[in-house]
Amino acid sequence: MKIRFKLNNKDIEYDVEEYKRALDFLRDDMRMTSVKEGCGEGECGACTIILNGKNVNSCMILAVELDGQEVWTLEGLNEIGDTSIQESYIEKGAIQCGFCTPGFIMSTKVLLDNNPDPDDNEIKEALEGNLCRCTGYTKIIEAVKLASTKLAEKNTTVADKRGEKNAV
Amino acid sequence: MQFKYSKPKTIEELSMLKSNYNAKLLAGGTDLMVKLRAKSCKPEIIIDTKGLGKNEIKFENEKVIIPLNTTYSDLLKNKKFKEKFPMLVDIIKKIGSPQIRNRATPIGNICNASPAGDFLLATYLYHGYAYIKPTNKKIKISQLIDGPGKIKLKPEEFIYSIELKERIGYEYYYEKVGKRNAMNISIISLGIVLKKKQNIIEEIKIAYGSVGPTIIRFEDLEKSVIGKEITRDLFDWLGEQYTKRINPITDVRATAEYRKKMVKNLLIKAFYNLNKTFQEG
Ligand SMILES: Cc1cc2nc3c(=O)[nH]c(=O)nc-3n(C[C@H](O)[C@H](O)[C@H](O)COP(=O)(O)OP(=O)(O)OC[C@H]3O[C@@H](n4cnc5c(N)ncnc54)[C@H](O)[C@@H]3O)c2cc1C
Ligand code: FES
Ligand code: FES
Repeated sequence: MKIRFKLNNKDIEYDVEEYKRALDFLRDDMRMTSVKEGCGEGECGACTIILNGKNVNSCMILAVELDGQEVWTLEGLNEIGDTSIQESYIEKGAIQCGFCTPGFIMSTKVLLDNNPDPDDNEIKEALEGNLCRCTGYTKIIEAVKLASTKLAEKNTTVADKRGEKNAV
Repeated sequence: MQFKYSKPKTIEELSMLKSNYNAKLLAGGTDLMVKLRAKSCKPEIIIDTKGLGKNEIKFENEKVIIPLNTTYSDLLKNKKFKEKFPMLVDIIKKIGSPQIRNRATPIGNICNASPAGDFLLATYLYHGYAYIKPTNKKIKISQLIDGPGKIKLKPEEFIYSIELKERIGYEYYYEKVGKRNAMNISIISLGIVLKKKQNIIEEIKIAYGSVGPTIIRFEDLEKSVIGKEITRDLFDWLGEQYTKRINPITDVRATAEYRKKMVKNLLIKAFYNLNKTFQEG
């Protein structure tokens, strides 16, 4: 079936098998290999993508369901230079094998887009659907907090620059 | 898994497809995709209900109408719903994870007819009814459920929306025992809504999940305690009655013995929790 959708802000048209999962389609056909398969049953969050602004498990969705929708993967965030979260995970040592990391970053992105300054509990709740077998979760929570600070700084510099411009 | 996919835009078209083929409806897909992967169901065609769109959540006459394709996240975002159905909000927050709640629907939970279905259990306490299309029937949800995974719908029928009644002036208790918080299905669950005057029971509804082929509620037992004082003795007695009647099974999640013990223990825990809120307020 032919589908049309937006992937990382690019228009895509593709003829995809009707029984293919979004996970396999994104990895095999679109070559978005940041999207990982862990459990394949909605439990681990390694396959998390952002669909219309919400984090969802791509193993629970058919590729044909993407028709008309807007999808972001980690590759897309890199392309537009939206890397504060990624850097924070690296700086805080919240990555070991890295298999879970793209999924965590996508869930973190949705959290911070909706709640720029989350507390510990809000972070835990938002990342409940992502599992990590290496790091323990403390460093991940620290990374989310660091990302929140970085984004706030970025926003104030942008605002300052705007302010300067207005002042001139 | 190999099947065709269709996303009809009208009730008639959807209903025709459903009755003419070995078909499965797809809402959030969080139950269906697991079953397809396990090959425990092999439909010829998947019918995506999202082609019918999503109507607004409506409130009228102390009731909420939740339409097709409404997700758990939609409900958690709805201010009125949060105000009027605090127990359901607590239950929903414990279903799956954010990723699951962003896709999964209460109607999918009902139609999946699992004895562990958390939202399904809640509909037993909230006077839940389902509106069915294209036949335009309105049926009590507990009467629709016909065993694990079985729901009494004709080939052409599907659930179009559900209705729940507000429980104004009630206290509630909900507990699900599981291996991990927020994920996966429960080993046993218990939900209670209680209305009392002083310390006397005016109305009580008690529903257990995961201890039988469907959600379990005994209305005669509920009626038998109306007008009685809320005491530990009364809840001990009630616990004995439920233990006598409920015959859980052993499965990968827990043994029958464990579940049977928990039937009574959870009820006693409920007593202390409900009484705590009474003493405080
Ligand atoms: C990781 C994970 C955790 C979970 N945790 C919980 C939990 O804590 N508690 C819990 O109760 N459940 C849980 N679930 C199960 C599931 O998420 C819920 O049951 C959910 O509400 C199903 O909704 P859905 O829209 O995704 O259903 P779908 O999978 O789309 O559909 C479910 C079934 O209903 C049928 N159906 C759908 N819509 C209709 C309709 N309108 N009329 C007739 N039939 C229809 C479908 O054909 C299918 O058989 C979990 C699932 C996963 C993967
Ligand atoms: S692979 Fe999708 S949740 Fe684990
Ligand atoms: S870093 Fe290895 S699973 Fe998280």
